[in-house]
Amino acid sequence: MMSRPLASEHPTGPFYRTLPPPTMHEAALTAGVRIEPGTTYGFFTDTTVCIGCKSCEAACKQWNQNPMDDFGFKGTSYDNTGELSATTWRHVAFVETRIDTNGDHRRDRTRWTFMSDVCKHCENAGCMEACPTGAIIRTEFGTVLIQQDVCNGCAYCVPSCPFGVITLAEEQDRKAHKCTLCYDRMKVGMEPACAKACPTDSIQFGPVTELRERARERLRFLHSRGRREAYLYGVPDAPGAAGGVGSLNCFFLLTERPEVYNLPPLPELPSRRAGAGFLTATAAALFWGAVTTAMILAPRREQREGGRQ
Amino acid sequence: MAQNRVPDTNWVPGSHLGWGYAWPSNRRIMYNRASADPEGNPWSERKRYIWWDAEKGRWVGYDNPDFTLNKPPDYKPPDKGSGDECLDGKSPFIMMADGKGWLYAPAGLKDGPLPTHYEPVESPLINRIYPAQQTNPAAKLFHRPDNLYHAPGDPAYPYVITTYRLTEHHTGGVMTRWLPWLAELQPHGFVEISPELAAEKGIQHGEWVTLTTARGEVEARAVVTDRMLPLSFDGRVIHQIGMPWHFGYKGIARGDVANTLTSIVEDPNSRIHEGKVFTCNIRAGRKEVRA
Repeated sequence: MMSRPLASEHPTGPFYRTLPPPTMHEAALTAGVRIEPGTTYGFFTDTTVCIGCKSCEAACKQWNQNPMDDFGFKGTSYDNTGELSATTWRHVAFVETRIDTNGDHRRDRTRWTFMSDVCKHCENAGCMEACPTGAIIRTEFGTVLIQQDVCNGCAYCVPSCPFGVITLAEEQDRKAHKCTLCYDRMKVGMEPACAKACPTDSIQFGPVTELRERARERLRFLHSRGRREAYLYGVPDAPGAAGGVGSLNCFFLLTERPEVYNLPPLPELPSRRAGAGFLTATAAALFWGAVTTAMILAPRREQREGGRQ
Repeated sequence: MAQNRVPDTNWVPGSHLGWGYAWPSNRRIMYNRASADPEGNPWSERKRYIWWDAEKGRWVGYDNPDFTLNKPPDYKPPDKGSGDECLDGKSPFIMMADGKGWLYAPAGLKDGPLPTHYEPVESPLINRIYPAQQTNPAAKLFHRPDNLYHAPGDPAYPYVITTYRLTEHHTGGVMTRWLPWLAELQPHGFVEISPELAAEKGIQHGEWVTLTTARGEVEARAVVTDRMLPLSFDGRVIHQIGMPWHFGYKGIARGDVANTLTSIVEDPNSRIHEGKVFTCNIRAGRKEVRA
């Protein structure tokens, strides 16, 4: 057993310091990470400990001052925000999964599966490729950021995200918005709002390499306890890290198929299809060109023939 | 002190006395002398928390001891005295007159001395343990024309209804119904019912339902879910309905008030309203508006 210092003899002493806010390198205290430029940061979202409290959703909206959106009763279990959008950067899915009760009517027949979804901050981001103005950049923290003063609202990034993360804020500035991984907080050494608010550490923040280690350790633990169905989504050579997207800086530990959580099992960068699309378009242009030419010529012949009768 | 932000290094010792403040005395576990045996040694090495250090002549541990610091485990109270000095060194529950935790409560409660089972004031079943005593005889009832109670097994109100809270709102929802970030998460009053009851009553998921009791009538959206299990007693199926509090007629997130349905019954000791379980009836459709 680890030897533990007594409360009265603890290194910080019996009279603890009071730190005046704001605290520099606060993340070192809250997440055990000193945030430095040049390192790639992300989230590890462990769905096995998510309790569906939606603290991340509320904390995100409060910090980023995002408005309430698409208000109304949806009837999708306890989820009333539906999906990620320009004004909802964290979204908690409530999935009611059926359990086989072997005909025992006293046993619970469903299991609630929760998952807090977020922008994946892809290694190769589709939105960044599509952006014609250079508004979407890779920051010094390895995250993908939309610069709001540069974005012109063309929406090319919207269909280019394989995960459907980005939309335009139709009722506000008509520009594209998504999770910034709390760039403004990281700038001053603070952990992103959602990870800090998460009461069960389902959302963990840190350098991606360290998080992957932690995630593999957690996976080994779950497997050793018989949760064989658990797997990582978005780490290299795993589901989610496919189709040219590369690995995801914000990755997940899941227990159901990706589709259950509204995640694509095989995401693909739209640019991958540009070559085939170009060839198809060229072939189509040639074909319809030929058809049009034929159509222009054909009636003349018909007219000639008709004139004879 | 509430702004203290110094966590324990590597989660050791684990009580995080430097993080925030817990009233009183920044103590994280009350009555923590109970973590040591009568002689003042930890019950087990793994659960070591507060113990008696004979050399120093005081209680030590990972938390601020909830005990007179220098009162040894073998302390005997004097024949005459007052307050804490009358409790011996083996009695951790310092807020009790005898310093002991109580399972048997011969004094101080209006019912007791041991816990037992009574049916709620409104129930579709009879009390199997005391057939002659359906409900708690010490419960405070209010017989008034606007506070009618349903008789046990009343066929007009065959369903069990329970009320509860949601994570997204706080108590009656007065503070949270107005806050857009919370209101959008649970925007409307609803009741949860099982697919079996929905089929029996012709209720569609997401549609309006009306709940009635002898006290009043409310309408809400129906959430038909497998999470609600029909209860089974003596081969009889009894359906349960779940209704969250929080909703009201003002704010951004609105809905009918669950308290319209409840009767007023008070717990004998705390005199807290017992509207946790009662009986009701349910039908598809909205309530009729009386002109």
